[in-house]
Amino acid sequence: MRQDLTNDPGLKIVIVDASPLRAAILEAGLREAGYVHVMRLAEHTNLLARLHAIDPDVILIDLEDPSRDVVEQMFQVSREVKRPVAMFVDQSDSSTIEAAIEAGVSAYIVDGLKKERVRPIVDMTISRFRAFSRLRDELEQTRTALEERKTLDRAKGILMKMKGFDEEAAYALLRRTAMNEKKRMVDIAQSVITAADLFK
Amino acid sequence: MRRLAIGFIPLTDAAVLVAAAKLGFAAAEGLELDLHREVSWANIRDKVNVGLLDGAHMLAPLAIASSLGLGHVRVPLVAPFALNLNGSAITLAHPIYEAMEATGHNLSSGLGVAQALGQMVRARAAQGLEPLTFSTVYSFSTHTYMLRHVLAAGGLDPDRDVRLVVVPPPFTVESLRSGLIHGFCVGSPWNAVAVEAGVGRIALLGPEIFGWAPEKVLGVHARFAEAEPDVLRRLVRALHAAARWSETAANHVELAQLLSSPEFLGLPAETLGRILQGRLDTTQAGLPRENRDFLVLHRDGASRPDARHAAWIYAQMVRAGQTAFSAAGAAEAGAVYRADVYDAALGTAPVSSGPAGDPVNTRFGEPFTPDDIDDYLRRVRST
Repeated sequence: MRQDLTNDPGLKIVIVDASPLRAAILEAGLREAGYVHVMRLAEHTNLLARLHAIDPDVILIDLEDPSRDVVEQMFQVSREVKRPVAMFVDQSDSSTIEAAIEAGVSAYIVDGLKKERVRPIVDMTISRFRAFSRLRDELEQTRTALEERKTLDRAKGILMKMKGFDEEAAYALLRRTAMNEKKRMVDIAQSVITAADLFK
Repeated sequence: MRRLAIGFIPLTDAAVLVAAAKLGFAAAEGLELDLHREVSWANIRDKVNVGLLDGAHMLAPLAIASSLGLGHVRVPLVAPFALNLNGSAITLAHPIYEAMEATGHNLSSGLGVAQALGQMVRARAAQGLEPLTFSTVYSFSTHTYMLRHVLAAGGLDPDRDVRLVVVPPPFTVESLRSGLIHGFCVGSPWNAVAVEAGVGRIALLGPEIFGWAPEKVLGVHARFAEAEPDVLRRLVRALHAAARWSETAANHVELAQLLSSPEFLGLPAETLGRILQGRLDTTQAGLPRENRDFLVLHRDGASRPDARHAAWIYAQMVRAGQTAFSAAGAAEAGAVYRADVYDAALGTAPVSSGPAGDPVNTRFGEPFTPDDIDDYLRRVRST
């Protein structure tokens, strides 16, 4: 309900993010919330000139993008800039800046734009960046688990072949060795594979 | 062992921080420095502000701009240690340099380069050509002020006769190659990288413009300096020992090796070694130029924050139109540089360091007078 009251669909929003997937997730979120002028910039060449041409009200930029320093040049009032830009937050708003920096994103708005009009955009950006990073962590964990499982299977195969074990016995040997040596099973499995390679 | 998170930008003048963290100088003070590589000065400032970093490698003008609230929310910072002086250079695209040679000015002098640049820019304007574009890495940087000083000495208005833009260091070489910019003033190693890539020629070394210019400082939040004065003093002592080691010529090979690792600069140790020794090739074919003061890490009192340097930075901000002059602003800028913390940490008596008179040793144009900033600004504006 609050969003319906404060959303300002006419605002021109630019997303500067080298990760196309994350930028797409954010853009989708903003469009769902009713913002119609959302643009993505992934290419850094001549960023300032492109920003001037688009003349956005809000710029959302990935913290890992070196171009933040280019955007900050727009803080400087000069003949190059039609409308000076400012960081989203002011002194009284330190919790938002903390949340944004920790989420890995930063927001700039055209000077003079009321904060209330921009807050829903910034809040959504922070939450999408957080969600994306959770997603990436989970993906990473899944990938690691899959690789560890492959390593265990290969080590079991080697033990079964060389020692004539069945699968259960091979598994039990790996587990017992790991416990005795206070190591992870996958590390023992890796040692088995390395040793087998050496004896080849 | 107290752990501190310290941010840095992969530049040669992160050397003292890297040496302190990796070669035992921090450990000797009971500190463990976790170095965090950052991609922008804005990140450095913001992460120090919200406490994700305890301190950082910082452009001296950024520390002052943040403390004064220029261009951004006010973040009160403290600079108790100067990580280096000098280290920058101006690199120009080959056709630009060739056109300057054709003017007949003496390009082996700083003033000659400025005059040749001025003449060429005016000639281009007369032919109706597009103004030239030069880049630095951040608006609040010594690089910006150096470039503006050279342009002014060539009789140019830096805001009207050329375009000044910001290009992050990793994009400078490509931007110069593609003609998006015609030259840049940045810190090491990016001039050397552009020269090695064959896209430009070093026209001036920083110390040929200002002989003793502030560059990077250790910046910490004022809140941290107040809450943990003892930790800060230990950090200053660790950096002092690391800086003394880093300045020693016999250690430059080891230091260059350390910095060349992918977690820091990820560039050939040989390139970095030449920078540390102040011996730079100005073109791809060689043409080395040597300057003992190219990058000063410690000697002659360079590590002690000199409030006169803060005053010079403030004067350059006014000169560049980044702020209006006020005596209160000048005092506030000077207070960012905390020689008192440095002296307390090292137990040394306060001694004035650096050259007497002009503390930045201006090589051409109006000398800086720290005791009379007003007069300095009148002089630079009337020329």
